[in-house]
Amino acid sequence: MSPAKWDVVVIGAGPGGLAASIAADKAGASVCLVEREARPGGILKQCIHDGFGLVRFGRKLTGPEYAFLDIEEVKGRGIKLFTETFLLDLDRSEEGFVLTLQNSEEAVFRLEAKALVAATGCRERTARQVFIHGQRPAGVYTAGTVQRLINISGYLPGKNCVILGSGDIGLIMARRLTLEGAKVLGVYEIKPEPSGLTRNIVQCLEDYNIPLHLSTTVTEVHGTERLEGVTVCRVDENMRPLPGSEEYVPCDTLVLSVGLIPENDILHPLGVEIDPRTGGPVVDQLLATSEAGLFSCGNALHVNDLVDYVSESGEIAGASAARHALGDYRPPRHVPILAKGEILYAVPQRLDVSLGGQGILYFRAARTLTDAALVISAGGRVLGEKKYKSLRPPEMERIVLDLSLVPAGEENIVLELRG
Amino acid sequence: MEKLLVCIQCPQGCKLMVKTEGEEVLVAGNKCPRGASYARQELLNPCRTLTTTVRTEFPDFPLLPVRTAGEIPLGSLFAAMGEINRLLVRNRLRPGDVVLERVSGTDVPLIATADMTLN
Amino acid sequence: MAKKLKSVIKELRKFGLTGVCPREWRSSIVLEGEVDSWQEYIAAGYAAAGKGYKGVVNDLRVPGLEPLKEYLPPGRGGALAGKSYDVVIIGGGVIGCAVARELTRWDLRVALLEKEDDVAKQTSSRNNGMIHPGLAAPTGSKKHSYNIRGNRMYTQVSQELGFEFHRCGSVVMLEKSFYRLALPYVRRKALKKGVDGLEILSRQEVSRREPNATDRQRGGIFLPSTGVVAPYMVTVAYAENAVENGAEVHLNTAVLGFEMEGDRIVGVRTNQGVLRARVVINAAGVWADNIAGYANDRFFSIHGRKGTIAIVDKALGSTQSAVLAMPQLGVNTHTKGGGLNPTVEGNLLLGPTAIEVPQREDWSTTAGEMELLLSRHLSLNRRLRPRDIITYFAGVRACTFEEDFIIEPSEYVANLVHAAGIQSPGLASAPAIAEDVAAMTVEILKKTREVKRNPAFNPVRRLTPQLAKLSLAERAEVIRKNPAYGKIVCRCEVISEGEIVAAIHSPVPAATVDAVKRRVRAGMGRCQGGFCTPALLEIVARETSRSPGDVTKGRPGSRMLAEETKAGGKTG
Repeated sequence: MSPAKWDVVVIGAGPGGLAASIAADKAGASVCLVEREARPGGILKQCIHDGFGLVRFGRKLTGPEYAFLDIEEVKGRGIKLFTETFLLDLDRSEEGFVLTLQNSEEAVFRLEAKALVAATGCRERTARQVFIHGQRPAGVYTAGTVQRLINISGYLPGKNCVILGSGDIGLIMARRLTLEGAKVLGVYEIKPEPSGLTRNIVQCLEDYNIPLHLSTTVTEVHGTERLEGVTVCRVDENMRPLPGSEEYVPCDTLVLSVGLIPENDILHPLGVEIDPRTGGPVVDQLLATSEAGLFSCGNALHVNDLVDYVSESGEIAGASAARHALGDYRPPRHVPILAKGEILYAVPQRLDVSLGGQGILYFRAARTLTDAALVISAGGRVLGEKKYKSLRPPEMERIVLDLSLVPAGEENIVLELRG
Repeated sequence: MEKLLVCIQCPQGCKLMVKTEGEEVLVAGNKCPRGASYARQELLNPCRTLTTTVRTEFPDFPLLPVRTAGEIPLGSLFAAMGEINRLLVRNRLRPGDVVLERVSGTDVPLIATADMTLN
Repeated sequence: MAKKLKSVIKELRKFGLTGVCPREWRSSIVLEGEVDSWQEYIAAGYAAAGKGYKGVVNDLRVPGLEPLKEYLPPGRGGALAGKSYDVVIIGGGVIGCAVARELTRWDLRVALLEKEDDVAKQTSSRNNGMIHPGLAAPTGSKKHSYNIRGNRMYTQVSQELGFEFHRCGSVVMLEKSFYRLALPYVRRKALKKGVDGLEILSRQEVSRREPNATDRQRGGIFLPSTGVVAPYMVTVAYAENAVENGAEVHLNTAVLGFEMEGDRIVGVRTNQGVLRARVVINAAGVWADNIAGYANDRFFSIHGRKGTIAIVDKALGSTQSAVLAMPQLGVNTHTKGGGLNPTVEGNLLLGPTAIEVPQREDWSTTAGEMELLLSRHLSLNRRLRPRDIITYFAGVRACTFEEDFIIEPSEYVANLVHAAGIQSPGLASAPAIAEDVAAMTVEILKKTREVKRNPAFNPVRRLTPQLAKLSLAERAEVIRKNPAYGKIVCRCEVISEGEIVAAIHSPVPAATVDAVKRRVRAGMGRCQGGFCTPALLEIVARETSRSPGDVTKGRPGSRMLAEETKAGGKTG
């Protein structure tokens, strides 16, 4: 098991990892991409609907088409790709990192990397994680599982479906289930407004006369063997169930689209600093984590609403990892970004002010706002300002900051959103 | 004929009212011309791109993701699904390859969106 | 009128339960009549307990209460008709499976009948996996002696059967300083009871041992003999070793009655035909009273006591090493109140709660029980937050009103042995109970024939590779021999296709998605099967020569998929 040595190893060949490996290769680093599934592309493989790529490619692509463009480039560049390969252990070494992996062909083997990009994506929140009660019948699935069953395996999980959560995946699955012959009885959303894009409300629900119930949630599942029905219940302004408003809806399938959680389990042993608000690592504008040489991108960094931004962060992380591996490393001078006002979270969480150039900042509003203003300042001096006609928490905002404007010696940079 | 719509051309989400008066189509509530043409289209002939899958004869790739190369009338989606559900793909196709020349009586072809040659 | 009957009547009057008519039957007391509520039903049962009768049979009617529901497998057939066994065991929980394994030490034809689709489906997969030290059970009770013996047996049994057993110890913390005054008494009691190694801990000593323990603690005791197991793994291990040594396990097989001749059971009526048995063992869990009734030997009643349990993400598993508990005085006397324990898989587990429920197979969770669980146990470890919970479930304990195990040959039926009323610490006691029940059974058989040892008996279960337990070199070796072990299917628990296939073809085959989960933990991690369920369905289907559409989650009615899409394209 003598380890093969690479400048950069990218973990995960979804859109973030594909973009990272391409960027690292472009920057002149030797790159290797590790994927646990049989094919690259990540979750895009099962996102057969369109709407991807408007920002990055200027046209509307389906998920597989979007992935295809990057996969072709990875292949064209001769980037080494391990598929059906599972990371067993990640450790520090003198020169960087050592990865222990397994697959069917090579059994157990090691890779050494000077720099690492963790592009491990996210997982779905489950029924129990949103505290739905009852027994545990068959027929309760997360939206991603339903998507995989229908689009990859070719099975309809049920015929009469209730969907909890109006996020885009939930809406897309409402249409998909309907087109494949299932009846979608309704989409229930605990919040007073839908979480998904208006476009999806129109084209996935209204086109098919699927009702959307706001301020309503599922509190209980019924049935022991197969799901027989769910209890739906209206909620108050604090999203607590209103007693007496319970209603029984007979159905054989409950589809949950109740949130995504960045997956960073492989980083735990290294003690990487995690931001509790995003669930991903704390990073600077290079997407460098608290662990030197380790970079994060995509939905593992924070849950994105557009794959185009996942790719963009992959490109940044890949290029940064290559620079680090090729020896262009100076100790950073980090200044924290303080998110104030109506900001849910902002990424990156700090800036390396020893670098010039531009920094891309992403943020989400904590609630729906109209005529909002974002002000970036340091030491009382305004560095940038942007006005928004409307802001919604599901939609991520992106701004570019000219780092040369940051005055030397500032303790922090303030990002403030006023409603 | 009249219809209430939420405009999806940009994130502002204008609430549109569109109706026909004789030959004329009237749109209200839009803040830009894109909203007006969207409303007109939605009233007279709403069209959608259909994305779905087609069965293949390859056990390692049982379903091929496909889409219509352009938009087809909203009202024809279920007829198109019925037609597409009877297809069987016998070759390993790549994105852009035509699966069906004309979907459901339109002149819009159905094309593959995934690469079946990849392994 | 007998003195004890008078005291039952007096006690019932004290609670105002005037609608209850107590009647003596054999050496038990039977309660008949009507009460207003389920709470009164329970109160009456306990009012009649502890008065010197062998058991309390509670036949009180509660108007308006939903009738008792029991799951019965849908199949009817004759697969077992006319078959003849030396011993038939009713119930595939940890007790039934352990008894089956102990009986295979003898040269006997043994069959275990389980109405569910797998072993360990009811209470044996729905408890906290605690191997209690034996301090809580009343001195002189069966619970006490079996617990002490069973606990000591676990080290050897876990080695023979190859299941994980961690003797992690427990720290019982005190909420008020003055409780410490009782500790010398507790230490003497522990010594007298045979509980090994009790240590008294100061507040600082508790913090040193468990740095994340709650700030509310004011010292406590450490019980080093406390351990934890995965109860379903223990049950499966016993069942598999029993099958390896010649026993038969028949799933989806429900006992519907007995055919009696005089004081003997001659036929066991099932949904798969009538089979013959020389001895019958009643290990039927929450339904053990019904089984006893089939032989006109229902001298006790079972009632359900539900416990809700929550599982904490593995990422926090290392924040605690021993079981943590903080008893609340005056709260629910029928349980030690659960706690917060490590699991053998590296998660933490909260619970269980305890509430008497009319339905014995009601494993639903409720928001109220969940709140109670979180408020009582989550704060025992300062690092835990509600969002760290990855799943929760409930189980139902099989309680008698006398609150003790019933481990004995029937007084009235010549060839029936009861292993009933098994609740906490039933799992801890299981190895010892199984030894005794097997001995009682052999004793009965010896009355009519010679019973020889089984010369081929092997106490060591054959194990297939478990990657998590192997060194990297061993892992590589296993993968080279069988590449299916190279392919990880469950990413959260890191379970390979090879391990899943082995479970499907194990001595007690895993034919459902949940059965695979109980054997190899695929789908039990933080994504709760979100990623691996489609792959699991395909593997189970392939290995059992079925369509994925016919694979169930568990019981026969629990199909996971409705239909194949684009069936028309198949012939196109």
